[in-house]
Amino acid sequence: MGSLESARATTRRGMTISAVALLGLVAVYVMALQFTPIERFQGAAQKIFYVHVPAAWSALLAFSIVGIVSILFLWLKDERLDRFAAASAEVGLMFSCVMLTTGPIWGKPIWGVWWQWEPRLTFTLFLFFLFIGYRTLRSALQDPAERARFSAVVGIMGMLLVPFVHLTVYLFPGIHPLPVVLKPSSPSLPPEMLRTLLTSFLVFTVLSLGFTITRYGMALLADAEEARHAG
Amino acid sequence: MQGSPPANEGYMIAAYVVTAVIVFGYALSLLARARKALRDSK
Repeated sequence: MGSLESARATTRRGMTISAVALLGLVAVYVMALQFTPIERFQGAAQKIFYVHVPAAWSALLAFSIVGIVSILFLWLKDERLDRFAAASAEVGLMFSCVMLTTGPIWGKPIWGVWWQWEPRLTFTLFLFFLFIGYRTLRSALQDPAERARFSAVVGIMGMLLVPFVHLTVYLFPGIHPLPVVLKPSSPSLPPEMLRTLLTSFLVFTVLSLGFTITRYGMALLADAEEARHAG
Repeated sequence: MQGSPPANEGYMIAAYVVTAVIVFGYALSLLARARKALRDSK
């Protein structure tokens, strides 16, 4: 009974954090569209950057969490870690959809094409498909222990790709812009643009946290229900 | 002589609409599923 109450509390906590972060997202839209200047060379399309980059950050963060939690699962064999990894993978895929749609929408007016098979874009798409595979694997395997073990291995593989995706712009320079914030030197942006971008980073991170906790709480609820019916 | 920025607001609007549809769509789906799970667990 205690685990059921705890699962309910976790789900509610996640929903509250998500609701607050969604309000934050509305604030980011207002900041970006109304109070941030239009860049001289790229025009209004540059403002796509305020949702594309934080979405990419949230996706890569979520996939990194899947890998770290999967390592902990293989070590500690705690099923809750498996549920948390699955929740984080789902949220990572959602943010990947934002990243992979807003990127080409920015690319068309700036590069003249929707898509380029250049290293950063190709590896990002590969990472997305890897986590589609992670989800498919989880759906296909019926035995919970087997599902948790196999998907943990795929989750760790995905995490190993994350730093590689980030560093592709340095390792294989293509047409994708270099990082303006997540780089060794200080951010190279005017203050008003940097303020909007950092706010967006914060909001997307909290949103990711809220969604993941909600999804995790739901998985715990399902487990508690199953245990209650089995007992 | 300084040129004016390119007129590409349509792309910006499209990106913000797509982001809102994906994020709020997922949030609504999650909310509906969470409420159902909470209701079923009573």
